[in-house]
Amino acid sequence: MKADALIIGGGIQGCATAYHLARKGVSVIVVEKDYAGRHASGVNAGGVRLLGRDMAEVPLSKASMEMWQTLDEELGHDTGFRRQSLINIAADEGDLDTLRAREAKMHEAGYAYERMIDQAELRDRLPHVNFDCVGGVISELDGYAIPYKATSAFRLAAENLGAKVIEGEEVLSLRRVGNTWLAQGSRNAYEAEAVINCAGAWADRIALMIGDNVPLSHAAPMLMITARMPHFAKPVVGAVSRQLSFKQFENGTVLIGGGAKGFADRANNRTRLDYAKLAAACRTTAEFFPNMRKASINRMWAGLEAYMPDNLPVICPAVNAPRAFHAFGFSAHGFQMGPIVGQVLADLVTGGQSRFNLSPFRIDRFDRKVL
Amino acid sequence: MQAFDCAIVGAGPAGMSAALALTQGGADVIVLDRADRAGGQIYRSASSSPLPDAASLGPDYAAGADLITRFERSGAKHLAGADAWHIGDDGRILFSYQGDTRELHCREMLLCPGAMERPMPIPGWTLPGVMTAGAAQVMLKSDAVVADGAVFAGSGPLLYLIVAQYLRLGVRVAALVDTTPRRHYLDAAPLLPRAWRQVGQLRKGLSLLREIRAAGVDTYRYAENLEVIGEETAKGLRFSISGQPHEVSADTVFLHHGVQPNLNMTRAMGLAHHWNNAQMCWQVTVDEFGQSAISHVSVAGDGAGIVGADGACAAGRVVAQNMLYHLGRVSRTGRDRNSHADLYYLSSMKPFRRFIDCLYRPTEALRLPRDTETLVCRCEEQSLGDLRAGFEQGARDPNALKSLTRCGMGPCQGRQCGHVVTGLLAQWRKESPDAVGYYRLRSPQRLLTVDELGRYNTIPAEAAK
Repeated sequence: MKADALIIGGGIQGCATAYHLARKGVSVIVVEKDYAGRHASGVNAGGVRLLGRDMAEVPLSKASMEMWQTLDEELGHDTGFRRQSLINIAADEGDLDTLRAREAKMHEAGYAYERMIDQAELRDRLPHVNFDCVGGVISELDGYAIPYKATSAFRLAAENLGAKVIEGEEVLSLRRVGNTWLAQGSRNAYEAEAVINCAGAWADRIALMIGDNVPLSHAAPMLMITARMPHFAKPVVGAVSRQLSFKQFENGTVLIGGGAKGFADRANNRTRLDYAKLAAACRTTAEFFPNMRKASINRMWAGLEAYMPDNLPVICPAVNAPRAFHAFGFSAHGFQMGPIVGQVLADLVTGGQSRFNLSPFRIDRFDRKVL
Repeated sequence: MQAFDCAIVGAGPAGMSAALALTQGGADVIVLDRADRAGGQIYRSASSSPLPDAASLGPDYAAGADLITRFERSGAKHLAGADAWHIGDDGRILFSYQGDTRELHCREMLLCPGAMERPMPIPGWTLPGVMTAGAAQVMLKSDAVVADGAVFAGSGPLLYLIVAQYLRLGVRVAALVDTTPRRHYLDAAPLLPRAWRQVGQLRKGLSLLREIRAAGVDTYRYAENLEVIGEETAKGLRFSISGQPHEVSADTVFLHHGVQPNLNMTRAMGLAHHWNNAQMCWQVTVDEFGQSAISHVSVAGDGAGIVGADGACAAGRVVAQNMLYHLGRVSRTGRDRNSHADLYYLSSMKPFRRFIDCLYRPTEALRLPRDTETLVCRCEEQSLGDLRAGFEQGARDPNALKSLTRCGMGPCQGRQCGHVVTGLLAQWRKESPDAVGYYRLRSPQRLLTVDELGRYNTIPAEAAK
């Protein structure tokens, strides 16, 4: 099979890249070893979050946030996106100091979308919050989406524009002959002019086939979701210095995250839960929201996610081969960036440039330069 | 946290029989069961029946009381009301007991999840007043509650048994609507001579049917196109026979067309399963000793493929011998000698099982929904039409379909819809159920409060430092 561009990985980055390339008239094949949205893109917490981003990511994340607002119409499919304010709760004075320092830094860089709130406003916005909490920070641009639906929406939109998505196809080898990339999959062989590595927790292996080494690791962040309960929290909730994260969906179910990690068994495509850590997440949730104590946990799970040592993604052309590109290692906060990353990669593939400063996301940023 | 040689989950015929054999073999055994009393579904309350005369439920049920008594005296530790919600392939079990999460470890693990009734997603199957024949049995056995003037529809031994039990108790039955197709009798007939080795079982079945006929209950045979009548609640059943429409009025409709293994425990552990085409259901893959691919995890009873109560007892004893062998308490030859008779019995049951499976094979018309608005997933209220739309959007895998539509995400974790979804996807993809697969099940296997899980902690804070 032949195409202009071969995208490896059918997660949100791969499907969004396919969509943006197809829009530019580039012929695209996406190969996915399981099914599109099977791993991190389909089972994450669905946070569409601008609040608390690393400064290096803020320009991309802001641009992506604008795209999310109209994504359903643009793609012609439901992503489940809901705009909803996000509050990080300050439990004590120490947390407030942290927030003040962050506020100063943000203002200095010219960003004003994060706003500190006092105890009264916190209680007003989250009436069930523990009375000891002293304030917090809010971003009203934020929201959430349904991960699998959003990934699927990009995939369907890409397919409408002629992209091919081939599921159950694992890339076993990749080599460059002349001006062509040759990929051998578990079922078919592919030829493409450009290759794009969006392979998530498996991206280091694809990078190796391209010729780039990368210190990627993988882990299994865990989530829990409750049975439906009466509506009590509109904003998405986090905490400044504690592992707390939850949101109540429109159907009443409450998703509890917080970043606790289970056990990642990448070789077997599976994860295991660490119940002691989930128990701790339950205690934290109940501490901040005593009304959650009686909530019924319906499902708990973990997904395989790729992490970089500095928790920033890799978004760049390959260093050691021409016409190869990378977008992976989003370190558990890449879902929100999917829409813009697709556009950035499409720009890189077709024009060689992006309007964003991508230097913090170079794949070789950990290479030792000189002793 | 406690450690045991063997932990058994489920105190039905298989679990109790295994526990008896294991304690006799000198092993240290714990049995976890959700119910207050041992017995499982089939022997539910058999040793503590609320009925004035439990004999009306038949001699098999009475025999269950004897097994329960022997089990209770066996020396196996029985934790009644212990609801396992995580069963790890490392031998770790987390369970709710008296409102708290407890943990135990075992060298050998035996899962006896038993069977559940196959859902029958006919139009109106989710209306109030529609229940399964098994639910009729639970009401009768646990609480001595019956539904007067109910209609019973479907096929299979359990359906005839509950009708006969109702009649013995003098409860009025509106009708028995038998859906066994005419051609199944023809298909099964050649299997009858070999099934004759289990003449006792055959006789039991025939006498139930005779009993129902003698009582003069309206019996309709070869019924098709079943549909529950009613808007808010069930008002009766509509069906046709050879193209002729029929209606029976009733406030309660009991449906049944066979049982299938209760998959959640074995699936949640990630054990290999295969599609059993004779029984039209998923079945965990185990060897003749009930041992899975993980050598210290075994499965016995209906949960490993439908064998019935007597078969489950034999399978429990066989599995126990293999576990004793793993524990070094019998030699390999000892295991083979001790399980020879039960293995022979189990293999002699096979022709009979083949006959029953063929005769009462669930028809596609009753196994899969027909109308687009019929619900498949009751927890999340997803209809056939919703699933078809999801499939057309590219969700070809049961898990992709679940992610897209929420079908199977509710508290029952796919117990009700799992087989239907596999069946529908197999039909739409024109592939085998094995190629389609099943849901990846999530922990916990029962709802757990934030409070209860929060109290669980294996490593005390000091020890962690």
